[in-house]
Formats: sequence, C-alpha cells, structure tokens
Amino acid sequence: MSSISRRFLLTGAALTTASLLVPIAMRPARAATGTDAADYEITDWIVIAANGEITLGLSQPEVGQGSYTVLPQILADELDADWSRVKVRFVTGRPAYKIAFRQEAPVQKEGASMSTTVLYERLRTAGAAARDVLVRAAAQKWGVDVAQCRTENGFVVNTHGETLSYGELAPAAAKLPLSVTPALKHSDKFQLIGKPVPRLDTPAKCNGSAIFGIDVAVPDMLNAAIKSARSFTGQLVAIKNEAEILAMLGVRAVVKIPVVAVANEDAGFKPAEGSRPDHYNAVCVVADHFWQARRAIDLLDVEFDAGTDGDLSTAKINAMLGAALNAEKGVTALVEGRPREILEEREAAVIERRFLLPHIAHAPMEPVNATANYRDGAVEVWGPIQAVAACQEAVAHAVGCAAADVKVNVTFLGGSFGRKIVPDFVVQAVHASKAVGRPVKLIRSREEDMQHDVYRPNAAGRIRAVLDDAGYPLAVHARVAGQSLFNATRKSWLEHTPEGVWDESMVDGLYNQSYRLPNFLVETIDTPLPVPVYFMRSVGSTAAVFFWESFISDLAQHAKIDQYAYRRHLLADDPSALRVLDAVAQACRWDAAPAPESFRGISYNCYIGRRGRFKTYVAEVVELERIAERFAIRRIYCAVDPGLVVNPNTLKAQIQGGIGFALTNTLKSRITFSNGGADQSNFFDYDLLRMDEMPAIIPIIVPSDRPPQGFGEVVLAPVAPAVAQALLHATGRRLDVMPFPDDVFRAPADDTNARAR
Amino acid sequence: MSVTFTVNGKPAEFDGPEDAPLLWVVREHLGLTGSKFGCGIGACGACTMHIDGAAQRTCIMPVLMAQGRQITTIEGLSSNTDHPVQKAWIEFDVPQCGYCQSGMIMAAAALLHRHPNPTDRDIDREITNLCRCATYARIRAAIHLAANMAPGAGDETVKAK
Repeated sequence: MSSISRRFLLTGAALTTASLLVPIAMRPARAATGTDAADYEITDWIVIAANGEITLGLSQPEVGQGSYTVLPQILADELDADWSRVKVRFVTGRPAYKIAFRQEAPVQKEGASMSTTVLYERLRTAGAAARDVLVRAAAQKWGVDVAQCRTENGFVVNTHGETLSYGELAPAAAKLPLSVTPALKHSDKFQLIGKPVPRLDTPAKCNGSAIFGIDVAVPDMLNAAIKSARSFTGQLVAIKNEAEILAMLGVRAVVKIPVVAVANEDAGFKPAEGSRPDHYNAVCVVADHFWQARRAIDLLDVEFDAGTDGDLSTAKINAMLGAALNAEKGVTALVEGRPREILEEREAAVIERRFLLPHIAHAPMEPVNATANYRDGAVEVWGPIQAVAACQEAVAHAVGCAAADVKVNVTFLGGSFGRKIVPDFVVQAVHASKAVGRPVKLIRSREEDMQHDVYRPNAAGRIRAVLDDAGYPLAVHARVAGQSLFNATRKSWLEHTPEGVWDESMVDGLYNQSYRLPNFLVETIDTPLPVPVYFMRSVGSTAAVFFWESFISDLAQHAKIDQYAYRRHLLADDPSALRVLDAVAQACRWDAAPAPESFRGISYNCYIGRRGRFKTYVAEVVELERIAERFAIRRIYCAVDPGLVVNPNTLKAQIQGGIGFALTNTLKSRITFSNGGADQSNFFDYDLLRMDEMPAIIPIIVPSDRPPQGFGEVVLAPVAPAVAQALLHATGRRLDVMPFPDDVFRAPADDTNARAR
Repeated sequence: MSVTFTVNGKPAEFDGPEDAPLLWVVREHLGLTGSKFGCGIGACGACTMHIDGAAQRTCIMPVLMAQGRQITTIEGLSSNTDHPVQKAWIEFDVPQCGYCQSGMIMAAAALLHRHPNPTDRDIDREITNLCRCATYARIRAAIHLAANMAPGAGDETVKAK
C-alpha cells in the first residue's frame, strides 16, 4: 500500500505506486522443473514449496459462497496439510478444473451450484494422491515400507518416530508417478471436512486488504467510465462535444465502444450475426483517475438512437404474457395421465390462478468492472470473472486473437449471482485498452450496471386443477410463459419435441416437482424480447416454484386441509422430502397454536441441479406478525438435506444469506422498461432488503449419507410462497405478483424485535 | 489550492478540484482501496469512513470538506485487524462476498462509539448499509458480541497503518 505521508499532487500522471495487489492470482500450470524450481506441482491444485509452504489452488471463483475455504478444505483434509499455514491461489489450465454443465465440453466456470458437488471426489482424489506420493517418497528415503509411514499436519512420520516435512519431500515426490486410485480417508478420520472451519478470506475482508476487481491496479493503468445507449437495440449517432471533454482535467481519450455480445454463450459470446466493428452502442472516457472519467462522462453530450426496439415497454411485455397465458396451446414439457380430458370433463369445478413476475437485476454490490491490457495482439485481463473460458472466448472473438492468448486473472468477486459470467464488461475494457495502447480499468457506474444488466427473465403462470373427493389434486394443467433464457443464450440446452422447443429453466421445480399427481400437464410458451437475459441465482425456480407452491397452498385451502398435512400427504412416497418437511414443522412447532397475531406459511421444494446432477431438499416456514395494519416477517425456519456438509459454517451462511436475497426478490425487485431500455438505475428505485427488515433465520440441517449436493441457490425459491401462504392465513388475500405490494409488509422496528432474534 | 487532512493518523494533501469525491481521492491518490464504490449516491454505505470519528458516506463528500479533518478508513481502524468489531466479524465469519463489509464495519464501529450497548432497535435504526448477500443476521450478532467485549469496546482506535 502506498505511504500516505507523502503529498500526492495531482499532476495528471498515473499512480506511481501501482502494483498488483491480487491475493487470487492466476498460476500458470507448469511441471516441476527440478531443483531450480521453488515450487513443485504435486497434483492438480496442490503446490508444495521446498520451504514447506503449501499452496492450494482454487479453481472456482470466490463469489461469496465460500469456495475459497470449502474447496481447499477438502484438499487439505485428504492431504493432511497443516491448515493453519496453507495459502490459496486461483489456478487455471488443467482439465480437472473444468466442469461439464450440460452436454457441451467442460469449462472452468462457477455456477449452477455445481462446484462442491462435482469437484468433491476430484479434490479428495488429488489430496489423497499427493499424500500417497509424499509417503512413497519418504519411504524410499528412509528405506522402509510405506506401511510403516503415516501423515500428520504436513509431515510424514515413520514407526521409529522420524519425520520428514512435505517441503523436504516435495522434490522427490514430484518425480514419482501418481497413483490413479489413491486410498481416500475414511470419514472417521476427517479433520476438516464436516467441521465449521472458519473462512480463510474473512480477515482480509475485514481490514480492507481483500482485492476485488474494482481495486486492481497495474503499472501504467488508466481509468475509464462508460455511457451506453439506453435502448438495448440502440446505437451511437454522434458525440457532440468531444473536444471539450478531451480538454477536461485528466482526460486522455474518448473511445467509441462497439456493440458487445451479451448472449449466445453456446458460441462463446460471439458477436451476433450481422454485427460490425463500427456498430457502436457506448462511449468510454479514459482518464488518469476514475473520478475524472466519471465527471467527464456525465458531461458528455452524446446521442444514441433507439434502434429496432425503441418501443419496448412493460405494458407491451405484460400484454404478450397475457396473450400467452390465454393461448390455445403451449409446448408440452411434461404430460402424465389425462389432464386435459379430466379438466374438460369437470370444467365447473376447475380452480385457476394466474401469476406474474418481472425481470429483475443482479445488482451485485461491486458493479461490473474489468482491467484489460491489449498489447501486440495478446490480451491480459484482471477482474471479478466468474467463468474463465467464456471470458477468453469472448475477448478472442472481439479482437481476433486466440482464446489461449487471453490471460485471465481472477480476483475476489463483490457479488455476482451469475452476472459476472457474461464477459461483456471485460470485452468493453479490452476495446478501451486497445484504443489507448495502455492498460485500462473500466468501472461501470451503478446506473450503467443496473441498466445494462443481463436480467433474470420475467415469467407469467396459469395453473388450473380439479380436486379429487378427498381434496387432493386430481388433474393439473400448468403453463409458464416468459422470455426463455435458453432461447436467448443457450439454444443447445433447449429440449426438442415435435411441438417445438422448450426451456427447462422456465419450469425448474414445476415440471420435476415432487407431489403425487396422477394427471399433470406442464407447458411453456416463449415470449421473446430484446431484453438481455442471463442466469441469476436460482434461475427459473424463483418463478415456477412461487407459482406452484402458491397454487398448492390454494388447493389446501379449498380442501380445508392443514398446509403441512396436505403436503405431507402428497409427499407420502418420498421419504427424503418428508424428512425435511417434518423437520421444519417440528422446529417451528407447527402443530401448536401460533402466538397471537402470528401467522405461518410452509413450503417445500426439491432443488434439482442441471441434468439431475444433485438433489437438495428444502422446506421452509415463515412466521409473520401483524403490527397495526401490516405484517412483519419475524422468523424463517429452513430445513435442508444437502447431503454431506463439508462446512456447516458456510452452509448456514448460505441459508441466512439466500433467504435474505430471496426476500429482496419477493418484496422489492422489479425492472420496468420504456423507450427500449430499463427504467431503474440505482438503489433509490431498486431497493434491497435492509437490516431492519431481515427476519431471524433458524437453519435445520437434516443429516444425510449422500455426497455433497449443490447449495448456493436452493433456499431461495420456497421463501416467496411461504410468505404468501402466511399472509393468506392472516387476511385471505392472495399475492400473485412479485414483488409483493408495498402496502402489506413492514420492518418489525419495535422493541419486541429483540425477542424474535 | 490544496486540501490538507489526516488519514489514519498520517498527513495527506490533495491538489485538485474541490469537488473530487473523497472516496476516490482515498482510493486512487492514496492507494487505500478498502473503502468501496457501490452506488455513488450515498445510498449503500460501502464508502463509509470516519470523519473526526463520525461515520460518513464519502462517495458524495467533496474532498474540500475533508480540510483539516481526521479521516479513518477501514485500513486504519486497527493496526492488526483487532478492533472489537473486526474481532467479532471474524468470530462469526460475517462476510460472504465481503464487498460491503468495510463500510459496514465502519458504520458498526461508529454506532458502538455512540451506543456502547446498542439495542436491536438502535441497530435497526443506525445500520442502514446495504448488503446484497444479506449477511444481516451475523452483522447483528457480531455488533452485540463486539459491544460485550473488553471495556472500551466502542472506542475508536486510530492507528497509523
């Protein structure tokens, strides 16, 4: 850090003390190079220095979920490393670091709650292979049998009590062939796995030393601000006061930025067909300091047109959704039994509900930003990058270099929730750097970040059902309409049927729901829009499970059956589901009468990972308290079966944080559109949940023999329907639209708060 | 004209436009990147520093207003990440992504200075920083823990960094 006893004069020169202060830095893969090398790469992820320092590679970006701790924890346990001394560095470049999300080739990317599930075995195998080869190296050195050796805290120890440190053994171990099937520890022997290990990155995040993308500083770097066309299809017409802007203090350049791809992940975010390098939709001002660039961009007199979809508006969008819900037919995602026939036969008894969700923005607290250095046809980038390969491919497409020539340095991410996979903000920085011939850090203002997000798509639902004589659903017809995420950016993930294509994400948690249903039809209708969209934490389940669980709540009410009992009946064949449902009901004492003015709602979902990679069972109960005319959300109980819990500390944090995140979605988040673009721009019109609105959270972890299941997204979807059900019990009022109306809820904000915590 | 002030106990000087936001002067000219940019309109609190001991959102504070003042940033809250608030944050592993936490810690430290034993109501009213990861449950618990630590828990220690 720079000394602040010096006077800092504003001379227009770049920072003289710039250095790269990145605790997570890319480490190029390299083989052990013999005695000259300070470090020895023993296995994937594991580097041991001759001085004994153990560096554990992190191949999944730390976005807040705790990967920086949880994944190294697995390695360290199998390795028997001294946890108090391990260092963590971000790594790239090996097949083991890649994950196959669906049918396409594996890539290095964090998302879809896949990291621990997919990597758990690989990490354990790497740790065990490293331990094994260190033991063999020691046995060789001592001339003893491996059976006479054991490992402990970074040392190999033999039966005579002699010890050799991993550092001493590293050079020899690096030369031995690795066992393909090393023995894994028995779970009885776990020292770290399953323990609430404190997070390694916490101190740095408490003293200002953690480096996020926005904090990167490299030698010779300039800073840039950006202003984009409001309309998603708009382009630059003219910059009217460029000379005046260039004359402003610190300003070095005004750079036109070409339209950058925000879609087509299948093709590595390749620019769309027909796009040209001279189609611009944004302007950067590059200056010595960001505040200079920002001042200048705010004074930039720039004209953009609206392009083909300048009339995009929320009214138009909702009209499309309404028409889709009323259409004769959609594309069938699932049909079992004879739902259409039964609903027709019993038309008079049909119960129907409709639902609506808007687009919402990711709004990570760190706005998107990237630092890029384009030089001699090769590019190096630094930033909060959630998918390394996608970044390399997009940059390569944009500037015509090879993806392998794009060096990616990943910092801590100040939140992402999926946003920072789309590399548009990196490509823009690369264009700016290319134009000025120096490294450029491009930071989006909150307004630019929010109005040029890749939004979670909208959705509308229409569900119709008839009940059997006992009051349980006999036939159900569910339709979800909305802007299809897969059609916008992942066409290869669409399911193909004779009727057409459908997008699984639109019906996550609905078409693969768990309740016993003899006759069930699920349809989807894509309502395409020019709105840029992408995956956001919990994807389509945030819509589909809201619709579905709310509808089930309705049916239970119609049948005059208790909500917990109703769900219990419908899940009778699913012991895993019952375990979490019973656990949450027990924890909140569902069977006991609630306190006066207290109302509860219960919900259930089994979150199924892409391609069925994992199943995480979740049940939640929300407790409302009526205060004057409104309702405060006091407590939320959340029971989960996540399989083996690698770190209960980070898991509980995900429960607390995930529920809080879902409450923002439920109570506040919406993006509306007009004149071709987004209306909301900052936290005054896109509010987030605040301290005083956060309920007490009671997590219940149901023990499980299953291996680790995905967790980052799973607790979100059941929140909204549980809140809605509690309100239904309190007032009879149904909430069909998210965000919920702002005349219903309130912060507790009184002294009884203390009791609820 | 230049603006002179103290940052974390050390003198600093800025020659430039009076309305340059203090946040960016500290981040870029002094190289102290612990204080963060989240919104630019004083709504989120990620930029919170202490100005003469009081919490202030600095993305909207013109550097001119720092003239003659004592500024404390997250880097200067303690010399060893051992301010009671930091210790409590570490005890409970409060941060997830961590981006809001510098501002949050500064806000909490200032709160404890004014209310050494805050009630939940005090916390509700005074901690208005935004956290997208919604770490609020642990923030609240950590504030209570910090308040219960050794005597003088609420005192701000301005240490040179």
